[in-house]
Amino acid sequence: MTLLRLILEELKAIVADKAIAVTLFGGVLFYALLYPLPYLNQVPTEQALVVVDLDNTSLSRELIRHADASPKIRVARGAGSVTEAQHYIASGDFHGLLVIPAGFKRDLLLGKGATLSYGGDASYFLVYSALVEGLVTAGMDAAKSVQLLGMLSRGESFAGASLSLAPMHLNAVPAYNPGLGYTPYVVPGLFLLILHQTLLIGTGILGAGQWRKSGYWQQVSALELLMGRIAAFGLIYAALGAFYLGWCYHWYGVSVQAGLGDIAAFIVPFYVATAAAGVATSCLFIRRDMPTQVMLLASMPILFVSGFVWPLSLIPEPLVMAAQAIPAVPAIFGMLKLNQLGAGFDAVFSEWLMLWVLALVYLALAWWGLVVRRREVNSPITPKQA
Amino acid sequence: MKTLLRRELGALWQNPWQLALVSYLPILAMLALWWLFSAALPRQLPVAMVDLDNSSLSRELGRHMAASPVVSPISFASLPQAQDAMNRAEVYALVVVPHGFSRELKTAAQPTVDVRYNGQFLLVGKLLAANLQQAIADAMKPLAYSKQLAQGANPHQAHINIAPIATQTTALFNRNNNYVGFLVPPVLIALWQLTAMLVFANALNRELESPARQEAIGLLPVLGAKLLCYAPLLMLQGLFIHGLLFGYLKLPVAASPLWLIPAMLALLLAVFLIVAVIFLLMQESARVVSFCTALFAPAFAFMGVTFPVHDMPAAAQYWRLLMPSSHYIDSHIALVSYGVSGMELLSKSLSFMPFLLLLLPIGLLARQGLKEVQS
Repeated sequence: MTLLRLILEELKAIVADKAIAVTLFGGVLFYALLYPLPYLNQVPTEQALVVVDLDNTSLSRELIRHADASPKIRVARGAGSVTEAQHYIASGDFHGLLVIPAGFKRDLLLGKGATLSYGGDASYFLVYSALVEGLVTAGMDAAKSVQLLGMLSRGESFAGASLSLAPMHLNAVPAYNPGLGYTPYVVPGLFLLILHQTLLIGTGILGAGQWRKSGYWQQVSALELLMGRIAAFGLIYAALGAFYLGWCYHWYGVSVQAGLGDIAAFIVPFYVATAAAGVATSCLFIRRDMPTQVMLLASMPILFVSGFVWPLSLIPEPLVMAAQAIPAVPAIFGMLKLNQLGAGFDAVFSEWLMLWVLALVYLALAWWGLVVRRREVNSPITPKQA
Repeated sequence: MKTLLRRELGALWQNPWQLALVSYLPILAMLALWWLFSAALPRQLPVAMVDLDNSSLSRELGRHMAASPVVSPISFASLPQAQDAMNRAEVYALVVVPHGFSRELKTAAQPTVDVRYNGQFLLVGKLLAANLQQAIADAMKPLAYSKQLAQGANPHQAHINIAPIATQTTALFNRNNNYVGFLVPPVLIALWQLTAMLVFANALNRELESPARQEAIGLLPVLGAKLLCYAPLLMLQGLFIHGLLFGYLKLPVAASPLWLIPAMLALLLAVFLIVAVIFLLMQESARVVSFCTALFAPAFAFMGVTFPVHDMPAAAQYWRLLMPSSHYIDSHIALVSYGVSGMELLSKSLSFMPFLLLLLPIGLLARQGLKEVQS
């Protein structure tokens, strides 16, 4: 059997197997829509705020208007006391609290200073940070206008007064994900993980289903079968990868900094390592419903250990080291540097090398596994399952 | 029913994978996830500092940054080197103090300090942005203060003039912004839900292999026996999660976590009903598992803990309702954070009720029995 013929046989087997087709084509398309769905609005806006205005003066009302004008905050209702406000927050419909103390305006005009209290529901971090950002800005705006009024009343010039309040200018800007959107944050890592997991599952189901039967996979050598299988899945994943990294990234507004050549050069060892790992693990299974289960349970730990959700420097060292054996981990971090941060190929060279090392190791394991499995094919003894 | 239960337990004993799923495997995964997040508070995050001024004032700025527990400044001699480190994700932010910073401050020319933080790492980036701005503002306070004094304000007045409105920010319910308290419970619940889904799917799939079909007893009692057999075992895992969170890690909890048990049972029942419908429709083991996986794998994103529910598009909010874990996490947060009473919590659990509608298709499909030949 020629290699081309083998690849065709493999492709036929993949498409004909409904469980693989569901995972590879259905799953990949479905996840492309479903996973980013919650984050489509990108940034949390208009968090509901409860205001306790114990001052009730023109200045306190101006402060409330300032807060309401912030895109991050919506002044949803007032409350007579802090206890009442806390009751509202406990209902789960409101997430923040602003307390303006009695005598707020009077104290400020007398030059005595006043204290505002902010509270945010820290059970939800994005909500909390949006609320605090909005409230701090509103508070600073109010403070500025009070300071300016005070200084002008003491006879300072407008320009001099503004300067002595802000001796320097702080220009804080996000780099790489300028809108601070949630989709560009999550999608790059997540989509690579989906490609990784579905590829492992696809190769896993195909292998697990074939070991106890005879067919074209018996007529070629283990090495040929391995090459043919990787080539067949590689072809499919070239298309799926192009769909994810090209069309989907564009659709979800994820930045694409690297050129096609760099991406291709980086993704080849990723696919080879993953497909080989898939074939290697498929030799551990004889039940077709097993690979999906194992990979599913591993998904969340892999996602969190890959370093884009939770900083690598905070993850215990042994976990980081162990995770390097999973092709998705160096691939996600390398691709992030290459495509999202715009570092050159030399910046991902170590990850690239790591992926080739993994590819070689898994190819060897897969070859060995295939040899062992094929020897068992005609024996009636059920081999031990993983 | 007793015979059916014995049959289930016997089958469980003979299946090492299913046995692992109801016992040690999810526990190990849960402990690994907790270990991963065990740092709890991001601190000492590397930040590139490029001091082009190299004056006592700019060094003062650096000291203020180093004083922040979150920031760990690393000095870079030139801007391109720092940018390179930023591109390689070796540092999460970059602070540039310009040439002539000190002179411009003294001549009141309002110099600009640039802060670039990595928005691609959203969580870390936002945290650093807030802390760097705070550190720089603090560093500037003595300067503004001495200016006020020079203008003839008395020390007390000078303080108030700099900041007439003091603010006091309180993180409600999660006092020290602990990420273990924030992320680990929903992550573990999501993992638990996946485990429950797999356990039920495997248990149901076994009916496809057994040569003796259940024509005599009917399919419904068999389904019932599976639920009765596995729900208590899965419940133990759920209680392990709560033991870990509230017992061992001592996460703050506003009311007794025991009140969550009804919601946990409701979650298990809802997962079982969904898996049963899919099983009766598909009747092929790999396809049942694949389909259930597609459905349940993204459940974590829809819980609304990492991204607020009311900022999700309507389609996501509807999809969210299909996931039992979303209903559960609402009860969980209401109890842990807000300390709602047991009765209120029970009424919240009523949101699980629509899942009971699945009994209808299950009853209809079960009466048709399983197909004779499987693909």
